[in-house]
Amino acid sequence: MILTSLDGVSPDQFAEHSGWAPTPEGLCRGEICVPAPGSLRADGTVDIDAAAQRLGMPVLHDADHGVWAVGPATLGGRALPTAVAADPELLTRDGNPFKLSALHGRKVLLVAWASY
Amino acid sequence: MTVALDVERAHTYKWIDAASPTHPSLIDTIHITDEFFGFTNIPMAVWIDETGTIVRPAESASIERSPLRDMDIPEGLPERMERMFREVKAMPDVSHDYRAAIVDWAHRGAGSRFVLTADEVIARSQPRGDDEARAAACFELGEHLRRTVAPEAAVPWWRDAHRLHPANWTYKRQAWTLVTTPEGAEDNDLAQGPNDVYEGNWLDDVIAGGGGQAYTVVPQL
Repeated sequence: MILTSLDGVSPDQFAEHSGWAPTPEGLCRGEICVPAPGSLRADGTVDIDAAAQRLGMPVLHDADHGVWAVGPATLGGRALPTAVAADPELLTRDGNPFKLSALHGRKVLLVAWASY
Repeated sequence: MTVALDVERAHTYKWIDAASPTHPSLIDTIHITDEFFGFTNIPMAVWIDETGTIVRPAESASIERSPLRDMDIPEGLPERMERMFREVKAMPDVSHDYRAAIVDWAHRGAGSRFVLTADEVIARSQPRGDDEARAAACFELGEHLRRTVAPEAAVPWWRDAHRLHPANWTYKRQAWTLVTTPEGAEDNDLAQGPNDVYEGNWLDDVIAGGGGQAYTVVPQL
């Protein structure tokens, strides 16, 4: 997740880029909810440092360019904290957004490849 | 559904257009699927059922035996090229069985013996500790700077990504190919040899990682 400020991050923005949805119960992904007091500020935005600490996410800062990168959660020590598939927004050949959830109801063999 | 882990969308067009896919054919320009699904190399795949539940985690997804495996290594090749051949031939090949497993799942669904429980899926997904998570952040930050500042702005972050998570080949192959492909070349350089920008290269990193037999995440079928 790339940020130009650690302030003003909405719950939807955090969920879209991290897969973890800030809710009153905590930070949730699939069936897992991690209690995360302090992760939602009074103004409704996400306290990135608090949320990242709860989930074991690294927060890197490039001071020269004024940008932060928040890495994935390390909770559980595996790439998948849950078997519920994440739903990142990807691009089609023509640059249009596409979400995996568009295929809900069908089996999906998601194959990664590359030109290199 | 296919997803190309390519920071330059244009690099994928030739292949997508040649394939004329009838399935959704997508592009992941920041390797976010590495983060979300645990891909570390290509080709890899995850199986997702009708409810959106992963029933097999990221694993090597070759479905055809590469003709390179059965070729005699030509005599007189340069030493590095000859060694590359040997490492490719040493890679485990379960392509026939993996293809059969996919077909079985397509027909039997949840009744397929290749479907794993949620606990098995999580346990078999790739390890992710502090180093792997930091590597993911480094790669994404480098790609952001490459795109918004200059290609060389990515380099220190991508070097860190390679150092922190040497088993992630998409981070390394992506970076190497950008610096070893001659300008104006029609295809990316697949040999990804020694270069002046990054410490590693394909052959030496394969050898350092245990050789061709350790290069892929072999499906445990």
